[in-house]
Amino acid sequence: MTSSKEALAHSAASAETAPGDEPGAVRGAQVRGTPPAATHSWRSRLYRWDMKASPYVFISPFFLIFGAFSLVPLLYTGWYSLHNVQLSDLDNQTWVGLDNYQNLLSSDFFWNSLWVTFTIGVIATVPQLLVAIGIAHLLNYRLRGSTVWRVIMLTPYATSVAAATLVFVLLFSWDGGMINWLLDFVGIDPVNWRESNWGSKFAVSTIVIWRWTGYNALIYLAAMQAIPADLYESASIDGANRWQQFVHVTIPQLRPTILFTAVVSTIGATQLFGEPLLFGGADGSKGGSEHQYQTLGLYMYDQGFMIGNLGKASAIAWSMFLILLIVAAINLLLTRRLRKTP
Amino acid sequence: MRARTRTARNTVVLAAVAALGAGLLAGCSEDPDDGTSNEGGGSTDGKITLTVGTFGVFGYKQAGLYDEYMKQNPDIVIKENVTTKTSVYWPKTLTRLQAGSGTDDIQAIEIGNVTEAVQTQGDKFVDLGKEVDKSQWLDWKNQQATTKDGKLIGLGTDIGPMAICYRKDLFEKAGLETDRTKLAEQWKGDWSKYVALGEEYMKKAPSGTKYVDSASSVYNAALGGATERYYDKDGNPIWDNSKGVKDAWDAAMSVATSDMSAKLKQFETPWDQGYAKGTFATVACPAWMIGYIQEKSGDAGKGKWDVAAAPTAANWGGAFIGVPTASKHQKEAVALAKWLTAPEQQAKVFAKQASFPSTPSAYPSLKPSPDTTAYFSDAPLTQIFSDSAKTIPVQHFGTKDQPIGTAIADIGIVQVEQKGKSPEEGWDAASKEIKDVLGQ
Amino acid sequence: MTTSELTRPRAPERAPESKASRRRVMGAGKQMHAGPLTYVVLTVFAVGSLAPLVWTAIAASRTSQRLAEAPPPLWFGGNLFKNLETAWEQAGLGTAMLNTTLVAGTITVGTVLFSTLAGFAFAKLRFRFSSVLLLLTIGTMMIPPQLAVVPLYLWMSDLNWSNQLQTVILPTLVSAFGTFFMRQYLVQALPSELIEAARVDGASSVRIVWHVVFPAARPAMAVLGLLTFVMAWNDFLWPILALNQQNPTVQVALNALGTGYIPDQSVIMAGALLGTLPLLIAFLLFGKQIVGGIMQGAIKG
Repeated sequence: MTSSKEALAHSAASAETAPGDEPGAVRGAQVRGTPPAATHSWRSRLYRWDMKASPYVFISPFFLIFGAFSLVPLLYTGWYSLHNVQLSDLDNQTWVGLDNYQNLLSSDFFWNSLWVTFTIGVIATVPQLLVAIGIAHLLNYRLRGSTVWRVIMLTPYATSVAAATLVFVLLFSWDGGMINWLLDFVGIDPVNWRESNWGSKFAVSTIVIWRWTGYNALIYLAAMQAIPADLYESASIDGANRWQQFVHVTIPQLRPTILFTAVVSTIGATQLFGEPLLFGGADGSKGGSEHQYQTLGLYMYDQGFMIGNLGKASAIAWSMFLILLIVAAINLLLTRRLRKTP
Repeated sequence: MRARTRTARNTVVLAAVAALGAGLLAGCSEDPDDGTSNEGGGSTDGKITLTVGTFGVFGYKQAGLYDEYMKQNPDIVIKENVTTKTSVYWPKTLTRLQAGSGTDDIQAIEIGNVTEAVQTQGDKFVDLGKEVDKSQWLDWKNQQATTKDGKLIGLGTDIGPMAICYRKDLFEKAGLETDRTKLAEQWKGDWSKYVALGEEYMKKAPSGTKYVDSASSVYNAALGGATERYYDKDGNPIWDNSKGVKDAWDAAMSVATSDMSAKLKQFETPWDQGYAKGTFATVACPAWMIGYIQEKSGDAGKGKWDVAAAPTAANWGGAFIGVPTASKHQKEAVALAKWLTAPEQQAKVFAKQASFPSTPSAYPSLKPSPDTTAYFSDAPLTQIFSDSAKTIPVQHFGTKDQPIGTAIADIGIVQVEQKGKSPEEGWDAASKEIKDVLGQ
Repeated sequence: MTTSELTRPRAPERAPESKASRRRVMGAGKQMHAGPLTYVVLTVFAVGSLAPLVWTAIAASRTSQRLAEAPPPLWFGGNLFKNLETAWEQAGLGTAMLNTTLVAGTITVGTVLFSTLAGFAFAKLRFRFSSVLLLLTIGTMMIPPQLAVVPLYLWMSDLNWSNQLQTVILPTLVSAFGTFFMRQYLVQALPSELIEAARVDGASSVRIVWHVVFPAARPAMAVLGLLTFVMAWNDFLWPILALNQQNPTVQVALNALGTGYIPDQSVIMAGALLGTLPLLIAFLLFGKQIVGGIMQGAIKG
């Protein structure tokens, strides 16, 4: 095992290892770290108190703020999801049990948004990561002005969802948009990007791909640079050409990083909201006349804030959470398996 | 330790901590009653600050009304809180009304939301019925803002009386009548006659042009003149067998399935481009759209546009302003609301941006800007719109008018018009959507 | 090998950006020179990366009418400054930028500080339930922000906090990702001997954090700060629900630009450009550090 892989495996994964098991963790600090000046008993008591309490003090800001603004709302959302809560009548919350969830399961719009989230997720993530690996590979060569290239690749990351989408809406405009104009050059009829089923998914994905490819490329590049040289040396001694080296050395070494980026991208894709909303223009919350790009996040927004059914919106939010938990479980299984294979 | 000597770094960290503390303190200690906050009712220098919450452009600021009022009432300071999108504005307003705090002293209500406000938030608004002379307003306008027990929760601001804006030059090329009075005669009384003229137009249409911008504009216009919409007068949804909806849908479908529509979505870039390029010859135009057309068609359209009376008197859009009971300065807020919606002030807003008054006594004195009149071939805009305004039928709205309208226009009609679905499929899709909205 | 590799993440005093160490890693073996084809392909991607931004500037320099005409403009027109000014005024971008700087700055400081503290505790201190709590922290990364929106929205109204900046600051003041990120970094970058030594000297936890942890964590704190700032600057969902045009962040202001009474595309593009400009300038000035930071974060994180 190489260190880089070890390090990446950490980033790629979970906290299976408790901090105490970490090599070099301060094991039994109480025992070894007894202060020499233990003569003043109040001081040593203070010291011991400090030892015991400080970890909790250090983690408490996170847990307090997180608890107040994420965890409690999360539970509240769960509570709302079991009630009929209308935006126009907040004080009358009637218990409906699992009705909201049942309603979702029998709603075509819910399944559609699930499908849309999945397809846009795949269209946005897979090419993005593949291209990112390719770019990283190229950037890994000895280049003139290597920093300039890297910065250029990263610029889209500086652009906000709102700004990027406003621009892409114009580029993808049906009538007079740059992309249809370019297509016209090669003899392709203009595509109604917003209304077409796959065209709209493609367009929304493009925004995601554009914003994130460079960022992921840099992460891959970092991982590539950490691959020990001797692996390549021995591969080339074995007669592997550049391509074979890429396939047989680089890719396997990148596996944990790929997994990590895939997980992060999956989480991002599941929560996709701003791009489809703004891509839809004036009535973006429907995600097109056939809901063709209404993601789960958008569906929740539409139900909760446009239609005013907060109970159902809460049920959608909780469904998203459950889906992510399932994704995480699958990821954990995959990681375990990956670790076992040498 | 070396680190101890690194004072520069320590300073940075210290500064960071200080900044965090300061930021938090500044955020938390902000006095909700000071003038900068959104709270209804602070006072600065003994003056009373009134906040006006609106969406989009109401034109009060643009027409200088706030300044004028503050000059007349030196102890009042007015602040306007604009939220651009109704779709963001309304949910916020609803929650604040119910929370009983955070509302502005005056809150605007869009026509599509007014029934929801009347039915669910009636007790959160001051009854303005006793404060004003109700007969100043069009009767139907008052009725829309009146609760079952007779409370008037909002004063009418503008309305959207309908006309047809058309390109004289294109009509001439297509060999159609160009005189506005005669045209109006040709389609009078029935939107299907207006659609039928489109068939004529398309026979000799100048190349690259269509008769109408979109099927949903025909739908909205036709529905705006119907006596029956989505709800009956008791607030029960009747959308699936309402005659008004059916007629409007049928008119829209004959547009969507023909080649007379430019298939544009209103208020989006391609639609704007359509104006600029002159790709459609007519558009159903409520008064508030006049300024939009002028702006988007630009110099190229000057003198080419004309305005004729619509087939039926119809209304599209408009708003109200109400005073939440949560306001700390109800008396002053009511006085301001009264003043803002008085006929003289409504006339001033019309002169500025063609928002059409809901108070008929203002009509004789209405003067659109000379620029606008010239742009629309000297059409008697005031005449056409006030004739329409006076004969608009009383319409009953419901709590979910807005999402139902969205479902029909943006789902049903777009599917037929832009995706080539059959009208039946379009209607089914819209129905499914509406049932989802209503939880049916 | 494993042990030596693990100690490689150098002691805090030795600045990690030390040229020697980086060159050693970068120079590791296969640094083949790029052929012309590499440059060609990279240029294609670079164009794809920059073109939308350049075109934003082109569109912002034209008029709405010109943007409506058939071949889209491919070169700059003369309206840039006029449109920038209109956008600036219409969207209240001055206030928006000030607000966003304050919001993103506070969030960044909070996230970095609290993440470092918690990350340190998880990485190097022993306490009850630490592994459970860490697992919980990681688990929370999966909570979609949408999940908290409905209750937060209602509370903010109840608290009368609508439209005030703390509404968007507080919920994002801490980060599970940040905590995990700092923990991963400190596990390796902070030698436990240093802490022990300080303990033996009788240093209190606060002193240790100040004199040992912060110096060691500095590079990771910088990366986390950067990522957090960009994220906070660009945050969208919650700010558009929580704030209004009187007190907006840049994203809220941009969202409003697109939907005025008579939206003007060239002005919208000018607004998009202005809203992006501060981060773009930062990338131009500190591109090298930013890239280095992200790459370092990728390995250590």
